Amino acid sequence: MKQRHEVFTRTDVAVKLYTEEKMKKMLIGMLAAAVMSSNAVAADKVTIEVGYPYSHLFDVTFQKIMPGFNAAHPDIEVKFRATYENYEDATNTVLREAVAGNLPDVTMQGLNRQALLVEKGIAKSLEPFIAKEADFEKDGYHQAMLGLSTFGGDVYGLPFSISLPVGYYNEDLMKEAGITSQPKTWDEVVAACKKMHAKGIKNPMFWGWNITGNWFMQALMWTQDTPIVKDGKMNFGGSEGMKSLETMKKIFRGCDMQNLSFKDALASFSAGEIGMLFWSTSALGSVTRAKGDAFELKTGPFPGMSGTPMGLPAGGNAAMLTSASDDPARVAAAWTFLKYITSGEGAAAVAQTTGYMPPNKAANEIILADFYEKNPNNKTAVDQLPLLRDWLAYPGDKGLAITQVIYDGIEGIVTGEYDDMADLQEELMEETSDLLPK
Amino acid sequence: MTHIFDIKETLKHAVLIVAAIIVILPFYVMSSYSLKSPSEIEANRGGFIGAQQLMEDDKCTAIKGDVEECYFRPVVYNYTMAFKKAPLLRYLLNGVFVTVSIFILQVLIALPCAYALAKLRFWGRELVFTMVLFCLLIPVHAIALPLYIMLAKLGLTNTYAALIIPWTISVFGIFLMRQFFMTVPDDLLDAARMDGMSEFSIIWKVMLPTAIPALMAFAIFSVVAHWNDYFWPRVVITGNRDLFTPPLGLREFKGDADGSAYGPMMATAMIIVAPLIVGFLLAQKRFIEGITLSGMK
Amino acid sequence: MRPGHSSSTPFWLTFPAVALMFLILILPIIIAAILSFTDYSLGNVGAEWVAFENYERMLTRRTYIKMIIATVTYVGVVVPASLILGLCAALLINSLKFGQAIYKTIYFLPVMAALLAMAIVWEFALHPTIGIVNEILEDGCTVPWVKFLLSFEFLPWTDPSASWFATGCSEGFPLWLGDRDYAIWTICFIGIWQGFGFNMVLYLAGLTSVPRELYHAAQVDGAKSAWDRFWLVTWPMLGPTNVFVVTITSIRSFQVFDTVEALTQGGPSKTTFVMMFAIYEKAIKENQIGLGAAITIVFLVLVLLMTLFQRQFVEKKVHYS
Repeated sequence: MKQRHEVFTRTDVAVKLYTEEKMKKMLIGMLAAAVMSSNAVAADKVTIEVGYPYSHLFDVTFQKIMPGFNAAHPDIEVKFRATYENYEDATNTVLREAVAGNLPDVTMQGLNRQALLVEKGIAKSLEPFIAKEADFEKDGYHQAMLGLSTFGGDVYGLPFSISLPVGYYNEDLMKEAGITSQPKTWDEVVAACKKMHAKGIKNPMFWGWNITGNWFMQALMWTQDTPIVKDGKMNFGGSEGMKSLETMKKIFRGCDMQNLSFKDALASFSAGEIGMLFWSTSALGSVTRAKGDAFELKTGPFPGMSGTPMGLPAGGNAAMLTSASDDPARVAAAWTFLKYITSGEGAAAVAQTTGYMPPNKAANEIILADFYEKNPNNKTAVDQLPLLRDWLAYPGDKGLAITQVIYDGIEGIVTGEYDDMADLQEELMEETSDLLPK
Repeated sequence: MTHIFDIKETLKHAVLIVAAIIVILPFYVMSSYSLKSPSEIEANRGGFIGAQQLMEDDKCTAIKGDVEECYFRPVVYNYTMAFKKAPLLRYLLNGVFVTVSIFILQVLIALPCAYALAKLRFWGRELVFTMVLFCLLIPVHAIALPLYIMLAKLGLTNTYAALIIPWTISVFGIFLMRQFFMTVPDDLLDAARMDGMSEFSIIWKVMLPTAIPALMAFAIFSVVAHWNDYFWPRVVITGNRDLFTPPLGLREFKGDADGSAYGPMMATAMIIVAPLIVGFLLAQKRFIEGITLSGMK
Repeated sequence: MRPGHSSSTPFWLTFPAVALMFLILILPIIIAAILSFTDYSLGNVGAEWVAFENYERMLTRRTYIKMIIATVTYVGVVVPASLILGLCAALLINSLKFGQAIYKTIYFLPVMAALLAMAIVWEFALHPTIGIVNEILEDGCTVPWVKFLLSFEFLPWTDPSASWFATGCSEGFPLWLGDRDYAIWTICFIGIWQGFGFNMVLYLAGLTSVPRELYHAAQVDGAKSAWDRFWLVTWPMLGPTNVFVVTITSIRSFQVFDTVEALTQGGPSKTTFVMMFAIYEKAIKENQIGLGAAITIVFLVLVLLMTLFQRQFVEKKVHYS
C-alpha cells in the first residue's frame, strides 16, 4: 500500500515537476518574447504628442489623416493632447506648458501667434530639416506658403489650414433687390445695401470687423498692399490707414450695420435676414449647415477699394515644432508628422473636412481639383491664393493688448462713438505705439 | 364660508407661475435645441421638437462619402454625438470622482477647524477667524496663475491631484460649520469630556452626527460649484482629455468664429445638469433644515 | 479655558486648515502683489520692476473708469434685486399649501445649470430678430391691450408713439447685448436670474426659524395685516439671515465673470467690463500679468472695504436672539 502510494506520490510529484518545468519554460519563453517584443517596440516605436485647436472642427480632419499616416509610418505613435479652445488658448497653453516643462512635440498655432513663440525660443527652426529634404518644392511647398511662417529669414512652421476673407451672398435676397452681379468694390457693396434697404430688407449686410486679431483691418491695409506693422512700428498712421478707417465708416454707415456678434450675424444670415456676409471662408461649413434649404448661397471674392485687392491676410494655423526632447528619433518623428500633414493626402484632408484650405500647391492643384469642381463655394478662397499675405503679429509682449485697443476703436465706429476718423487714427496710433516694446 | 377655491392662494400661484415661466425659459430653449438640427437652431425654426427630418452628418460624409449611414434624425445625432465625440460617460465619472474627493477632503479639514473656532478658546482664535473671512473674498481667477506655476513645479499638472488639491480648503465650509457648531449646547460636550473622550473623537463621534443637516447644505453648495467648474480645470488640464470634467465636455463642440455644434452641445448640457437636478430634489428638504440650524439665529 | 484637553489641541485642529489657507489662497495673493509692481509676462525669463506704473495706468486710462462703473452698476443692481426677489419668493412659497417643492426646484435650477451652456442659450434667446425674447415682444405689437399697456397710452401726458415699446415695434427691438445702453442691464438681468434662487433657499431656511408664537403675540398686539406682521416680526427675526445673505451675495456679485466672458467679452465699448473680467483679460488673455495683478490687488482692497462697511453698518442694527 505504502509503496504504491509512494510511487503514486512520486509520479504525482514527477508529473507536477514536469508540468511545472514546462510551465516555467513557457512562462520564461513568453516573458522573453514579451520583453523582446516590447524592446522591439521600444526600439522601433516613437511617441510624439500633438496639440491642436477647435476640436469640433479638426477632430474629423485628423481622423481622416491618421489611417494614412499610420500605414506609412507604423513606427511612429501619435498621441493627441487636450484640444485648445481657440488660437489665444493655444498660445497661452503652450506658454504655460513651457513654464511647467511639458511642451508637446508639435503644436498648431494661429498664424499671427507664431511670432510670439519664435521670440521666446519655444518654437524651433525648421531650416535644418528642410535642408535635408531632397526636393521640398516638389512636394508643393512654395515660397508664398512658407513665407507665412518665416521669421528673421528662417522657417519656423508649416502652414496647415488657411483661410481668406470672402463674401457670402444670399442669392435669393440679392435677386429680390435687383442685384445681378456680385459687388467688386466697397462702393458697390454700399450701393447694393441701399437697393436692399429700398426693398424693405432691414439688415442687408454684416462685415466681420470683430474677427480675431484685427484680421479685417489688416485685410483693408493689405488691399492697399501695406502691412499694418513695419520695421517694428505701427504703420497705419499714414494715408493707407486713414483710407482703411474711412472705408469702414463708409460701409458701416452706408449699410446701417448693426453691432452684432458673429454668432448672431450668422444666425440672422441663416434665417435669411442678411443679404451679404463678409467673413472668413473657414465658416463655410457652418454657414452651409445652418442655412439648410432656406436659400441659395454663393461665395464671392473679397471686394477691393478701387478694383481687386492687392493682397489679403491669411487666416488659420500652422504646425510648429516645440519639442524639448533630447531624443533625436523623437524630433525626427515630429518632423515626419509635420511634413505628412501639410502635403499630399494629409493636406488635402483639410479641405475635404473643413472650410479651410491647405496652402500646399500640389494638394490644391492635383488632389483637390475634383473636389473644388464639385464645391464651387470652396473654390472662391483658393482662387484668391495668389493674394496671400501675412497675418501680422504686433511685436513685443503686449501684442494682444494692441489687438484689443484697435478692436475697441473699430467698435467705436460701428456704434457711432467715433465720427472723426482723423481723431480716431491719431488716438489709436498713440495708444498702440505706447504698448510697443521700448 | 370656506371655499375650496381660495383667491389669495390662487393669486400666489399665479404670480409664482409667471415667474417660473421666466426662470425656466432658458431650459426650455436648451432642451429644445438638444432635439433639433443645425439649421433649425440657427434660424430658430421648428417649434419645440423640430421637424426631425433626416440630417446629414457632414463629418461622417467627409470620411465615408455620401452613404446612408451618415444620415440621422437630429435628436439621435445630438445625443449620440454627446456620448461619442466627448467620452461623456468618462467625464461624468471624473466629475463624480473629483467632486466627491473634494467634498470629503473639505470636510476632513474644515470640521476640526470650525469646531476649534466655535468651541475652544485659544490664543490666535480671532486671527484665524479673520483669516477665514478674508479668504472668502479671494476669487479663483486672481490666484489661478500662481497656483498653476506652483503645481507645475511639483509636476502635478494634468493629474487628478491638480483638480482636487486647490479646493480642499473651503473657507465657506469653515464659516458655515462654525455657525452651526456655535448652536450646539456646551453641556453635550462637557458630558462627552467627562466620559474621557478626546477633542478629536468628540468632533467625529459627537459633532458630526448632529451636523448632518448642515453638512448636507455644505455638500450641495460644494458639489454644484465643482461639478460645474469650467475655469480651473481648463487652466490645469492641458495634456490629456481623459481627465476632463463634465463642463469641459461642452467645449468639444465649440468652434467660435467657424461655427459651433449647438445641438450636441445642448444635449451634453442636458445630460450634465440631470444628476444635479435629481440630487437636489432628493436633498432639498434636509438641505434647508441644515441651513436653519447653522445659526441663522 | 476648558479642562480636559491639552493646550496644543486647538493648534492641531486648526493647523491643516490654516496651512492650506496660507499655501493655496494667501501665498498666491502675495505673489500677485509682488508681480503687480513688475512687467511680468508668461514665457519670459525675468521681469522688470516698474513700481507703480501699473497702478498709474489704472487711474488714468478711460477703460478703467468704465471698469469701476460697470462693476459698481452690476453690484448695485444685482444685490438688492436678487435679495428682494429671493425674499419675496421665499415668503410666497413658504405660505403655500402645496407645490412648494416644485417651485423651489424650478427657482433653484438656474444655480445648477452649467454656465457655458446657459450663456449660449441666453445669447440665442436675446438675438435681436430671431431670439425668443424679441419675438415675444414683437408678437405683443399686434395685440392691442399689450400695446396699450406697454406704450403707456393710459397716461394722458405721454406720447405713446414715442415710447420705448412703440419705437421698438416700428424700428425693431434693441440689441440686448450689442447696444451700449442695454448691455450692462442685460448682464444684470441674467445675474439676478441666476442668483435669486440661491437667496430664496437661504431665506426659506431663515423663515423656518421664526417662532410661531411671535406671530400670535403680534396679532394680540393689534398687528392685523400681513404687511404689519412682516414688519413687526418677520423682518427683525430675519436679521441674522440677512447679514449672511447680503454678505455672500455681495461678494459673489463682485466676483461676476462667467456671464461676461461668455456673452459680451467686456463690451460693447467696455460697458460690461467688470473687474473680474478685466483681471482675466489683462492677465490671461493679453498676458500682461503685472497689470492683471495690480487690478487684483485693487479689487481685493475694494471688496475688503465693502465688507468692513457692511459689518459696521448692517451688523450693528441686527439683534441676535
